[in-house]
Amino acid sequence: MSFSTFVTDKAGLQKFYEAILANNETYAPVEKFGKFDYKRVTNLSECDPASPIAKTLSMKPLFFPRSAKVMKYVATSSGTDVSEVDEDPLANKRVVLGVKHCDARSLQVLDKVYNWDYIDTDYQKRRMNTVIISTRCDKADTHCFCTSLDYDVENLDALDVRVVNGSGDKIFISARTAKGEEFLSEPVSGHMSRITDEVAGPEMKNQYAAFAGSFRLKMDYKEVNARLSKIFDTPEFENVSGNCVSCNTCAFVCPTCHCFKISDEKVKDTGVRYKSYDSCNNGYFTLMAGGHNPRPAKYRRWRQRAMHKFVYYKERFGENLCVGCGKCTISCPVNISIFEVVNQVSVSMQE
Amino acid sequence: MNYTKQIQEIAAKLFAEDKIDVFVGYRMNGFDDNQVPVLITGVNEIPKLVFTDKSVFNLVNYLKPDHTRRKRVGLVVKGCDSRSLNLMLTESQVKRENLYVVGIACEGVTDDAGQKMQNCTDCMVPDAVVFDEMLGTPSGSQPAAYKANADVTALAAMPLPERAAYFEEVFANCIRCNACRHSCPLCYCAKCCIDQETSTLYNGANTTSAAFHALMTWSLHLAGRCVDCRNCEKACPSHLPLHLLHKQNESVIYENFQEHLAGVISEDRGAFYKYSLKDPDDFIM
Amino acid sequence: MEKLLVPTICKVDKVIQETPDIRTYRLKFRDEGLMEQFTFLPGQFVEFSLLGSGECTFCIASSATRKGYFDCSIKKAGVVTADIHTNIEEGDEVGIRGPFGNWFPLDDIKGKNLLFVGGGIGLAPLRSLIQFCIDNRGDYKDFTILYGARTSADLCYKDEIKEWQDNKSLRVVLTIDKPEETWNDNVGVVPKILEEVVKPVIENTSVITCGPPIMIKYTIQSLLKLGFADKDIITTLEMKMQCGLGKCGRCNIGSTYVCKDGPVFTNEQLKSLPDEF
Repeated sequence: MSFSTFVTDKAGLQKFYEAILANNETYAPVEKFGKFDYKRVTNLSECDPASPIAKTLSMKPLFFPRSAKVMKYVATSSGTDVSEVDEDPLANKRVVLGVKHCDARSLQVLDKVYNWDYIDTDYQKRRMNTVIISTRCDKADTHCFCTSLDYDVENLDALDVRVVNGSGDKIFISARTAKGEEFLSEPVSGHMSRITDEVAGPEMKNQYAAFAGSFRLKMDYKEVNARLSKIFDTPEFENVSGNCVSCNTCAFVCPTCHCFKISDEKVKDTGVRYKSYDSCNNGYFTLMAGGHNPRPAKYRRWRQRAMHKFVYYKERFGENLCVGCGKCTISCPVNISIFEVVNQVSVSMQE
Repeated sequence: MNYTKQIQEIAAKLFAEDKIDVFVGYRMNGFDDNQVPVLITGVNEIPKLVFTDKSVFNLVNYLKPDHTRRKRVGLVVKGCDSRSLNLMLTESQVKRENLYVVGIACEGVTDDAGQKMQNCTDCMVPDAVVFDEMLGTPSGSQPAAYKANADVTALAAMPLPERAAYFEEVFANCIRCNACRHSCPLCYCAKCCIDQETSTLYNGANTTSAAFHALMTWSLHLAGRCVDCRNCEKACPSHLPLHLLHKQNESVIYENFQEHLAGVISEDRGAFYKYSLKDPDDFIM
Repeated sequence: MEKLLVPTICKVDKVIQETPDIRTYRLKFRDEGLMEQFTFLPGQFVEFSLLGSGECTFCIASSATRKGYFDCSIKKAGVVTADIHTNIEEGDEVGIRGPFGNWFPLDDIKGKNLLFVGGGIGLAPLRSLIQFCIDNRGDYKDFTILYGARTSADLCYKDEIKEWQDNKSLRVVLTIDKPEETWNDNVGVVPKILEEVVKPVIENTSVITCGPPIMIKYTIQSLLKLGFADKDIITTLEMKMQCGLGKCGRCNIGSTYVCKDGPVFTNEQLKSLPDEF
């Protein structure tokens, strides 16, 4: 199937976004306290689809909510009634604007864990009902290393529609999937002109080349994967995690971290059960009721984090559980960089 | 303010005399001109140590058992940091004999953009109050009494519904990662009441009411203890103005229950731990 | 997913105080039709919720060959288990999700001698298999149960152990850690009794062991010393679990999900895992 590409300018892009907002439940980066988070928007002025990557939280919560009600219960004299929560937040189709490519990649990675064995139907439904419209970065941020990982940032399957800046004023909008092609129908694209891949292709390639050339961080993920898988016992993990304050932020902002906890909230005879984010950097994450903890020390928890991202997940599901977005490093109070950690540890192995 | 050389010398001396197992200081973060904390366990790492007006993080956080349990620690403290250290000593969380404290007569630190931090321009205790050795020239000024700063007066001037709406927005943007409490040097409880999965009151759910409950409880535990080091605020991935919450809560403590600033006087446990017959109680029904 | 996290209501049919801190809860689904459909194999576990307090992971301590109910033995250890002990009485309702996890390799142990080595509450998962094997006694050869606890009061399933002792086709060896006046049986830790009293046949024998981590460690050492092969030593791992669905990430050991790939492992499999359990 061949997909359409359109060319437009800044004003045309505005109009494109406005047309989307007018007819769809739309989510986009909204600034609050200097940080962008993906929220429901009704007006283009509320959001910024081209939000800087360093200041934007992941869109993961749209697919895996920070807290989801799992069930509720009511205890009566005749017995306890347990029921699913009635609200179905997934009934409507929705559109996400301004998605960064690394963020979209995380969905491809998460698909694997949510679709093995027991299938997470809510996640799947959210995925199917969402059209993802990306904004490709023009320049890498200090902590970005997406181009160094095991995926093609340029042609990502998770994106439905891709927005790329061309030379001069030009902006290219192209469909990437059948869902995206359908979405780019008359109402939203009527004001833009179609363009052939022969013309648009080279321009988009140029943009990508300039983007790919702007990276400070580069690594060979294959080498890192291979070396890390052999060094479970290296003392280097203690060195790299020395100043970690075990604050868990890295996991909460990470677009691919998917560990959660289940907790109850009780008011008299009724209660709600929540499924909320959790982090393996938490001391109590693996603490068992009897007091036994398989990962009592900070470095063991960091090792689990690094190894899960670059070794275990790869072994199990064939992908790295890291998309190179640098969000953890930016949010870390002491700037521990997963990039530096895996590199430093694997280099120490070589020595 | 640059004490890089002096601190490196002190650390070298402490290791040479076998007085410490670990030295907690600052190093360059490796990608721009900002710094991150570093825990040094041997002399070969000493050249990493730096200290300038970019040495922002409150290192007292590393005295928690998770980081330096049963170790002899050397560390660098600025004025505000030393107050939190003083509180940890007063609250019997660390042993003074296990510490070698390098105090700084602080001239204020700067944020990522190079601007002097707001807590530094408002600072009332720039010189370290606990130290074995002092670097820089102390200002000699006696710690002033509590004075509400511009933030507090601005909040006080806000009509109540507006103030409530403002803080509601803060709570709504909290993602419940608890980075604030983990970065706070005075949040040392091994089992924190707001950060436990088995608690049905303060569960980890990310709802506005749960965030309100957790942040308010946390902030109230810090009222009259907070030294305004801003570790929490810098750790917050949502950039929430957490210091406003603390300022708002502590203003009540300072105006009614506690005469001295947090951590300025050793051996005084402060309002959070102490009951006095003189405490006002007319607000209780 | 959220649906999979919703428990089904069970009624507590009976509460048995096994030891001062262990109680066995005999459960039946409130919906009798569900009870008939509920099938599980020895070694599997359930998520047990005390609604409003939280969810805990417990292995099923009975066998599906005994129809109409299932047992969970719960030791008072943490917040939720303490709540369960204080609040749950006969007739109360609790939530159950499951069964989850893998089971003991029933095909592999068929036609073999069986040696069960249990300590303390660790007899619970073994009891499920023991009951299963007793109910299919013809499939197995020699049948030995070695069970130890700190004191005689800490021995679980005392009535059932008597039944086992009376059963001529089983050999039951009991031990406690320190001598007691009224105790006429073996005294000593499990690995010691294993070597000195049980003296198991190595040939064609499968060992199934469960107990506190430290006991498992030394028992496996003894077994290896006696000459057992890694693949014949079967144990069930204790690991923090929450969802039971291979999603929440808590039970990860390397690339293994204990809640899906376990909790039953042979020592051979354990050796290939990172040392984090």
